[in-house]
Order: sequence, then C-alpha cells, then structure tokens
Amino acid sequence: MSMNKEIMATTIEHPAENKVEPELLGLLAEFNDPESLMEASRKVRDAGYNRWDTHTPFPVHGIDEAMGIKYTILPWIVAACGLTGGTIAISMQYWMNAVDYPFLISGKPLFSIPACIPIMFELSVLLAAFGAFFGMLGLNQLPKLYNPIFKSDAFRRATNDRFFLSMDASDPKFSEIDTGEFVKSLNPNHVEEFWSDVESPKLPRNLKLGLSLFGVLMLMPIALVAYKRSTVTDNPRIHIIPDMDFQPYLKAQNTTTIFGDGREMRPHIPGTIPRGQYKDDNIPFYYGLKVLPEDQDVITIAAQDEAKADEKKPAEAKPAEGANADAQAAAEDKLASLPWVTEFPMPVTDKMMARGKERYRIYCSVCHGLGGEGDGLVTLRAMDLQQGTWVRPASYHTDNVRKQPVGRLFHTITNGVRKMPAYGPQIPPEDRWAIVLYLKALQKSHQVDADTLTNDEKRKLRDTK
Amino acid sequence: MASVASEPIDTTTEVPGKRTPLVTGAHDYGTITDAVCRLAECKAPLSWYVALAASAALMGMLFGLVGYLIITGVGVWGNRSPVFWGWPIVNFVFWVGIGHAGTLISAILFLFRQDWRTGINRAAEAMTIFAVVCAGLFPGIHIGRVWLAYWLFPIPNQMSMWPNFRSPLLWDVFAVSTYATVSLLFWYMGMIPDLATLRDRAKNKIAQFGYGLFSLGWNGSSRHWHRYERAYLLLAALATPLVLSVHTIVSFDFAVSQLPGWHTTIFPPYFVAGAVFSGFAMVLTLMIPVRSICGIKDLLTDRHLENMTKVIIATGTMVGYAYAMEFFIAWYGGNRYETFAFINRAFGPYAWAYWIMVSCNVISPQLFWIKKIRTTPWMIFVVCIFVNIGMWFERFVITVTSLSRDFLPSSWGYFKPTIVDVLMLIGSFGLFMTLFLLFCKFLPMVAMAEVKSVYHEPHGHGDYQPEIKD
Repeated sequence: MSMNKEIMATTIEHPAENKVEPELLGLLAEFNDPESLMEASRKVRDAGYNRWDTHTPFPVHGIDEAMGIKYTILPWIVAACGLTGGTIAISMQYWMNAVDYPFLISGKPLFSIPACIPIMFELSVLLAAFGAFFGMLGLNQLPKLYNPIFKSDAFRRATNDRFFLSMDASDPKFSEIDTGEFVKSLNPNHVEEFWSDVESPKLPRNLKLGLSLFGVLMLMPIALVAYKRSTVTDNPRIHIIPDMDFQPYLKAQNTTTIFGDGREMRPHIPGTIPRGQYKDDNIPFYYGLKVLPEDQDVITIAAQDEAKADEKKPAEAKPAEGANADAQAAAEDKLASLPWVTEFPMPVTDKMMARGKERYRIYCSVCHGLGGEGDGLVTLRAMDLQQGTWVRPASYHTDNVRKQPVGRLFHTITNGVRKMPAYGPQIPPEDRWAIVLYLKALQKSHQVDADTLTNDEKRKLRDTK
Repeated sequence: MASVASEPIDTTTEVPGKRTPLVTGAHDYGTITDAVCRLAECKAPLSWYVALAASAALMGMLFGLVGYLIITGVGVWGNRSPVFWGWPIVNFVFWVGIGHAGTLISAILFLFRQDWRTGINRAAEAMTIFAVVCAGLFPGIHIGRVWLAYWLFPIPNQMSMWPNFRSPLLWDVFAVSTYATVSLLFWYMGMIPDLATLRDRAKNKIAQFGYGLFSLGWNGSSRHWHRYERAYLLLAALATPLVLSVHTIVSFDFAVSQLPGWHTTIFPPYFVAGAVFSGFAMVLTLMIPVRSICGIKDLLTDRHLENMTKVIIATGTMVGYAYAMEFFIAWYGGNRYETFAFINRAFGPYAWAYWIMVSCNVISPQLFWIKKIRTTPWMIFVVCIFVNIGMWFERFVITVTSLSRDFLPSSWGYFKPTIVDVLMLIGSFGLFMTLFLLFCKFLPMVAMAEVKSVYHEPHGHGDYQPEIKD
C-alpha cells in the first residue's frame, strides 16, 4: 500500500520526466588513411551489410566500388531539367512575341527559331544547373542540419583529416555485439557508439515565437495585395515613384492657389510683348495700313472690325446667298475708309510669286477654287449637301474685290471676313503678302484687254483652249 | 601515424613525362586544413583592415554616385550624341570579361583534368561572382529609370506588354543573369564541404551557427560525395558552354548592329578570347599579393602562376591576331565605312587609346616568353596590371571610336567622360575589392577538399613517390 503510494507520488511529482531510453543508432570507426578505409569498406560490403556509410574529408576515388554504391540517377534529372528549360524558353518566346503581344519589326516573321536560340540555350543551362544542384541536395537529403552523428567529438575530423566508417543500427544484419566485434576486426583507430537523444531536440521558445511572428508578418504583404486586387476603389493608384504618366504641371482653364487671381493660364504682362510678336516697327508689313505707330486707333479699328461684324450676324441667321454676298459686303463695308497700302511693302520677285502660288493652293484654293472664282472643292461639296449655312466665298473677279487695295486683301487674310476665319495665326506675314501677290495675278488673268497681248501670247491662249 | 609528408620540392621545374606534386612543403591533410582555415580562424592582419577600409570607402563612393545618378538622371554621365554607349557599357563588358577566368579555371580545366586548378579555383570563382556583380550594376543603372528595370524581365505587368526577345540586349539579360546564377551555384556547391570543415573547427557560437547553416549538414558521406562529384562534373560541363555563350552574346550587342567597326563576325570568338585574357590577368593580379599575405604559397605555388602566364600568352596572342584580322578584313572586304572606321581607330582622334590598347594587350603579354619574367611574381604582377589596363581600353576603343564616327559626319562628336564616369569606374573596383576581401577573411579561400584529393592522387599512382613515415 505504502509502496504504491510512493510510486504514485513520484509519478505525480514528476509528470514531465521523459521515460524515453536512448537508443543505439550505430557504430562509428575511425581510420587514419583512405587506403585502410577502402580495405575495411570492401569487407563490410562483402559481409552483406546494407545500411552503412563512410565519411571522408574529400572524395576518395575507388570507394564507390569498394562500398558497392550504385550509379546515381542525377544525370537523368539534369537532362530532364535542361529539356524543360529549353521547352519553356521556346514556348514563352512564341507565346509572348507572336501570340499575346505580336512584335512586328521591319516586316520580319513574328516567330523564327534562330532568334530564339540564345534564350533557349540560357534557360536550358539554367534549369539544368538547378537540376544538378538541387537534385544533388535532394538525393542526399540535404540540408539536414541536425544529425546525431555530429555529437561525436572524434567525428569533427571527418571533414579534416580522418576517415570514418558508420554502421547503422537499423540494418537487419546489425547486432550490437557481433557487429561491434566485426568492426573492431577491421583494425580501426578506435570504435565508438552513437546514440539517439534522450529528449528530442527542441527549438528554443523565443526562436519559435520569433519565427511564427516573422511568418505572420511575411503573409501580410501578400494578404494586402490580394485584398487590393479583389476590391474596387475610387481613389487613384498609389504612385510610389511619380512617373511620367502623372506630371504635376499646370493646365489652361484650371484654377490654382499658386497665383493670386486663381488662374493657371497666365495673362500677358502689361507693357511687355511676347517674344517674336513685336510689330510696330513695320505697320504696312504687319497690318497693311499706311499709318505711323502713333495712329493706334486706326490699327485698333482694323483689328476689331471683324469680331464686331461676327457678333452682329451669327452664322445660323445667315442663309446661303452666294449671289448677294458681294452686295451685302459692299453695303456693310466700314473698312473702305481706312488708309490701306496700295503697294507691296517689300520687293516683289518671281520667287515670291511662286511661293504665293504654292501657299494659295494649300490654304485658299479649297474654298475659293484654283482660279479664285469661289468654286473650291469644299464649296462644291457644301453646296451639294444643301446644308443651308454655307456662305459661298466671294469670287475675286468681282469689281468689289478687284478694287480693294493690297493692304485690305492682306487684312482680310489676316483677320478673316464674314464666315472666313482668320489665317493670321496660321500663315506668316511674308506668306500672306505672297498670297496677295498671287491673288492679284489671278485677278489680272481674268481682266486683260486682248489688245495688250502679243501675238505669241494670243496663240498660246488659243492652244490651251 | 602514417602521413604523406614530403621534402620541399621546387615545383616550378616541370620535367616532361613526370608528375610534380601540386603542393610544396611538408604537408599532410591536417596541415592543409590548418593553412587554409588559419585566416578565417585567426585575427586578420592589419593590412587586411587597411585594405578593407580603403575599398569600402570606394564602394561607398560608388553607391553615393549611383544615388546621385538616380536622383539626377543619366545626364551626369558623358554619354551624349552620338556616343550614347559610353563608359557604363565599357565597364560592363570589362567586368563581365574579368569574370570569365574564374569559370574557365573551374569548369574547363576541371573537365580537362588539370589538377593544378585546385589551388586557385575557389578564389577565381569568387572573383567571377564579384566581377559579375560589378558588371550587372552598370547596365542596371544605365537604363535611366532604374525602378522600371523589371521591364527587362518577362513578367506580367499592368501594360500587358512583353519584352522583345529578338533583341540582343534582352539576350544579354538572360545570359548575364544565368551566368551569375550558375557561377554562384558552382561556387557555393564547391564550398559546402569546406564550410563543413570550418563548422567542425569553429570555436565561437556565431561561426558555428553561420558555417553550420551554410554547410547544410554536410557529413562527408561517401554516398553524398558520389552524387556531389557527379553534380560538380555536370555543373562544370554546363558552365563551359555557358562561359563561351555569355561573352558571345555580349558581343552580339555590338555585332548585330550595323555600325562600322561593330558589325563583324569575328566579335564572338574575339570577345571570348579577350575575356579569358583579362580574366587570367585579374586572377594573377589578385593572387600574387593574396598568397603572400595569407601564407598559402605552398598551395598556390609558382607553378600555378607560371601556368596562368602561359594561358595569358595564348589568349593575348589570339587577341593580337583579332586586331590584325579586323584590319585585314576592313581592307579585304572593300567596305569603305569599315576601312575608314579602322584607319580612324589607329590614326584618328582616339589613336592614343588605340595604341595604349595595342601596347598593353599585344606587346606586354609577349614578355612572358621569357622564363625569368614568367617565374618572378612581381614581374608577372606588373605585366598583368598592363593587361588589365589594355583590356579596359580595348572595350573603350570598340565602343567609343565606332559610335563617335557613325555614317553621318554631321553627327560626329568627341566623347568626354565626366568626373562621375571616372569615379564610378574607380568605385566599382572598390565594390569588387570589398567583396573579395570579405571572402578572403570569412570563407575557405582554397578548395581544401579538392586539394586534398589531388594531393593524394599523384602520390598514389604518379611517378613521384613520397616517403611514407610512421
């Protein structure tokens, strides 16, 4: 009774005491040189043991045979990995460059083998190398940082200058006494046993805690990315690095807090002239007017005229009345009294005429026609469609237009007239004058007295008919 | 105790038909281990700290300049029209080339069973890794917007866009990254048994943990060694064509273009020969001081140095042949642009660079025909410095002379590097040396297991029979 109590008491007092007995795992024999180890290996092999090994600081050649090690399958793993690499490379290049995102370069085929070879080669080698390295580790069951054999102090020299033979206790032929005697008969330096641990090795508590915390933290970015990918948001994307797709420049018509007036588009500063915009030194050239810079009001009238005229007559209210356009224009002509220049404010040359012809054909002929009769392609088309809002452009060959001084014509091109928009912003002044010159030539071509022509010219005219 | 200790032998004299030992001095397995581990286990000499401080300072300058470049833009370099490939590409090609000797020594000499490689291969492989790190840096930052470097890789992005696989520049990405990865695996795998040696000898906890972790629990099992040797052989077999492919593909960056002076089929073999040439020169430049400082002259003998100088003569002559052949083809091919490009190289505005290149690369290695120079370490060192300078200039001449004189004379220009260019090149040497010094201190600098295995073999069945003592 009391005995029982005692036993019970001990059991209760030490419940955590581990009752696991250390287990014999094997025997370890040390040799001095590779030759004696090789000799011993042959004997162990011939004795019929299966689970045993030798440990040497360097690969001892010939020991494979002495131990009866079978040739490794590693080369096959490497070959399989290499082929996989090549296959991945060629299918990746085909799919990416010919199917999913076709790259057409200089009309070359989307897919051709020669261009794929470098990357096929590289990926084959890469995967084969992975196969060799990780295949070797896998077949050797490494990494295995803990091994009971490492508890032997003598075994530390297995990576230095001693040669070991280890017999595994799990070998069916293994028995503690017989195998011990057998190993001693191999004539080693010394023999020792190695045992399993009484307690299974445990990670320190702090390390465990730290590792789990680290693991959880590692999952957080993945979880965040997954969450963001599966939800919708109105907020703009986060740009860690501000790239060129969103540049913080100011845009016209927006408001800002940077400037006092709240406008992002900046007005001209009073008393300054934008670069390249100074015109007052040559009024005839820039405005077509015979005035001095002091006569600012004349220039202002000329500049403002068109805007006012347009306000009075919105386009919708103005039906297509090609025939009456001239009369109307004449009736409303307020610009006639201004001092327009009648001579070109620069020397007139053949080159200028050629330039004028070219520019006329680009800018004017579409509406006014190649001959200036108001029958350009756009006009014909618009009249054809019968939209009702088209004002047929004036013919240059009416008296009204023909009598206008060159300055007035220049002004019309610059600022537009009626439905014709201003071409000043598009055509530089030199070219506008050249167009005026060509326009004058066109007018002259329609109003020539036959008597002033030479016989040659008359014959030419007859021939062109 | 039986050992294979032997009398000190002069290994520099090679008697044909006879094997000479690869390790001099009275050594056995244990003393080889002691010699190699000494540096990792003892306090480093003062010279190591001085050298590390200097290189780390240069490395800091490099990273500072990289930061400056990223913040400011690539305009801080001298790359301007028409020379948009200036120093960064010169440095890239130079550093990639340096790496080649490492792989060549490890892989090709291994396949040819050149056992003398065992003394130098570990350090040479380390040099490869660090040179590739320096090389990778330059194309990495020269793209301007570094944070978009991932566009080079075939990974899905928000633009649904894939890279163009027909561009040699993309082949480069694959070639250099594969080369770096495979070299790293090769280097690391070779080190696993030696790291286990260091683990078993380590006295302090940090060293035990560090070496223990990276040696992956290696226990020297013969069954492991069997697969390990097979894997090593396979990696060597894979690395051999790889090393040839890398510089070949780098040369495609040039050769596939149409620029006179670049558009030539000689480029791939010529670049590879040049790379091996410069790589061996760099190995020698590093090894000659290191073997005296670290006291491993017994393992890294004068014969090693002499063998490498012979490789330098061979590759240096190939490089000289390539220079001559370029000129010959420029004339024989009858292409006027090509002819001009080469005359301009030798006699144009960059003639100074061209003649530095020729004298360093063609003339200086020929000095190794003289046995006295070939066997005197300091003379080898001086010649190798010249070779390194010459090979840098070779890349400069190829890159800059062709670009600065392209088809349109209106766009010709003279390339001038900026101070940032110059300091970055110097800084990249700092990065390289810092990594190399850390390697010398903390990792096994000589492949102990390999030295032991070949140390044993010649005694076993060679002509040389050491005295067996008890």
